Amino acid sequence: MGIKMVNLRKSFGRIQTEVLRGINEEIKSGEMVSITGRSGSGKSTLLYIISTLDKPSSGEVIIDGENVSSLDSVRLHQFRNQNMGFVFQFHHLLPELTALENILMPALKINKNKAFESRARDLMLEFDLKDKFDHYPSELSGGEQQRVAVARALIMSPKYIFADEPTGNLDSINGLAVMKFLQKINIELKTTVIFVTHDREFSKMGHRQITLVDGLVETAESIKLEKN
Amino acid sequence: MFFLALRQLLSKKQQTLLTLLGIVLGTTAYVAISGMMLGFQVFIIDQLVNNDAHIRINAREEIVSADTFKDVFFKNDVFVNWVKPPSGRKDNAYILSPQSWLDRLESDPQVIAASPQFVSQAIVNVGNISTGVRLIGSIPEKQIKVSNIQKYMLKGKFTDIGTSGNRLVAGEDLLTKLGATLNETILLTVGKGVPQPFKIVGVFKLGVRSIDESTLFASLTDVQNLNETPSRVSDIAIRLFDVNLAKDLSLTWNLLGQEKVQSWDQANEGIMSVFVTQDIVRNSMTISILIVAGFGIYNILSLAVSHRRREIAILRSIGFEPSDIVKLFFTQGFILGLIGGIVGILLGLLTCYYISTIEISGNRGLGSNRMIVSYDWMIFVKAFFLALLSSSLAGFLPSRAAGKMEPIDIIRSEDS
Repeated sequence: MGIKMVNLRKSFGRIQTEVLRGINEEIKSGEMVSITGRSGSGKSTLLYIISTLDKPSSGEVIIDGENVSSLDSVRLHQFRNQNMGFVFQFHHLLPELTALENILMPALKINKNKAFESRARDLMLEFDLKDKFDHYPSELSGGEQQRVAVARALIMSPKYIFADEPTGNLDSINGLAVMKFLQKINIELKTTVIFVTHDREFSKMGHRQITLVDGLVETAESIKLEKN
Repeated sequence: MFFLALRQLLSKKQQTLLTLLGIVLGTTAYVAISGMMLGFQVFIIDQLVNNDAHIRINAREEIVSADTFKDVFFKNDVFVNWVKPPSGRKDNAYILSPQSWLDRLESDPQVIAASPQFVSQAIVNVGNISTGVRLIGSIPEKQIKVSNIQKYMLKGKFTDIGTSGNRLVAGEDLLTKLGATLNETILLTVGKGVPQPFKIVGVFKLGVRSIDESTLFASLTDVQNLNETPSRVSDIAIRLFDVNLAKDLSLTWNLLGQEKVQSWDQANEGIMSVFVTQDIVRNSMTISILIVAGFGIYNILSLAVSHRRREIAILRSIGFEPSDIVKLFFTQGFILGLIGGIVGILLGLLTCYYISTIEISGNRGLGSNRMIVSYDWMIFVKAFFLALLSSSLAGFLPSRAAGKMEPIDIIRSEDS
């Protein structure tokens, strides 16, 4: 079980620029994996493709044995709701909802927000947000907002967490706090965490790194070639 | 989605209130204008329907010409060179066999009552004043069954006319013009025979000036005698159980004899067409207001969609489907229409109530001299659905655009 990438390719633009040039990789269930690389190396694109938010130009993404490109829209959204949690660089909270309501949004989709409320409160306590239940995003600091976003990603106890530069917009202390939360989730709940980061230190917090160079996964061979 | 839609609307209070105001004003305008116009129409229709007859049968006027006498006095092959060709109306118009009509009508289950009448022009003299009037001879007991005239009697009873004895009931404005009062005797002539005295036994006021200042009611026999046409009937006024059947029945009865059968709406086609024009003006005006309000909603929601791109991306990433996003924005338009419609109706009701207290000149019969406003429930239903429809339609386009947005496109454009 896990995520299998089979010859993933992605091109953009009228004059087709290939951002991903054939990725073959496997992420096992329960792993914490960082995706790193320089700007433009295709790391965010890869994350969005394997998290079903984007589609590859060719190739397949197989999650838990199922080819996600064969899922219809309803099943795909259901799959995202039940199995995936997202954390974005810019927190992306709904400004008109309180912190607690934001965390409960995935549960609201399946009309189970009441049932999940105590879990949401527990998550907030765990993420050091105990006084912030009824605070609106504008009343929270950047670090607090990102923790709310992580709590929202966790509310449905997903098997996979996808995080795109989750620390990119935070200072080093808050950044580290968020990374430690992700690490804790991975260790305690066995949630598979896949995150994109620029930060060398944070990238080492996972079990392993996938480094992208010009749309390809860097291998020992490619490192050697680069050195030469 | 309702919860989130409501929150989003409340987060932009000023915009929401302004948009709401547009819908409220549109709905209020519709209710108030419709109330006034329909009130006026109901009043006029009530006068037309209930003060005369649902259906009227009259003798068809026949105009004679040279052709009328072909093959009558001379054989067809004889050429007649008229010094002055025959022309004009053929004698007084009258119904050929009124009794057979009355028998038929009395046995008809749709008919409440049928009142035979003899209607003629007459000249009334009081002292030095003389004026032309419309003299209607009828059987009072039958006449009060076909019209509401009894309701509009200011003095005396309509049945005081009796079946003979030269008594009459006159419109109040006519008596004012003549300077005559109740129980006075006035002289009537129809242009032949000697003028005859008639006693005023009642006064009515319908509130329709053209009738109140020129109509006299007397007994059928007296009017027939005055015209020297005993037992002739020129009209039969009919009241039906269901006024809506008037047109259909009149069309059927037209085929039964040579008389002209007309329903109240056919007889007043001119007025009815004014009503149609009024309705078109009323509806198009209100629809224009609601279109403007609709554009307001379209604008606010289009802006909301472009301002909330990130939120759309989040919702999609946490499992909300495109149809949920459509619902989110569509619901906002719907909520605006719903609240705007309800508030607009309430304000419209208040406006109608205020309008109905405004005094206008002239007595409209029954002692009412205030604006007549209709509170027909269909006005409110239509107003509500117009508000809801315009706002839902206006909400549909931005909602559909929002539903088509792909989360990855939004994230990419936000990040770049």
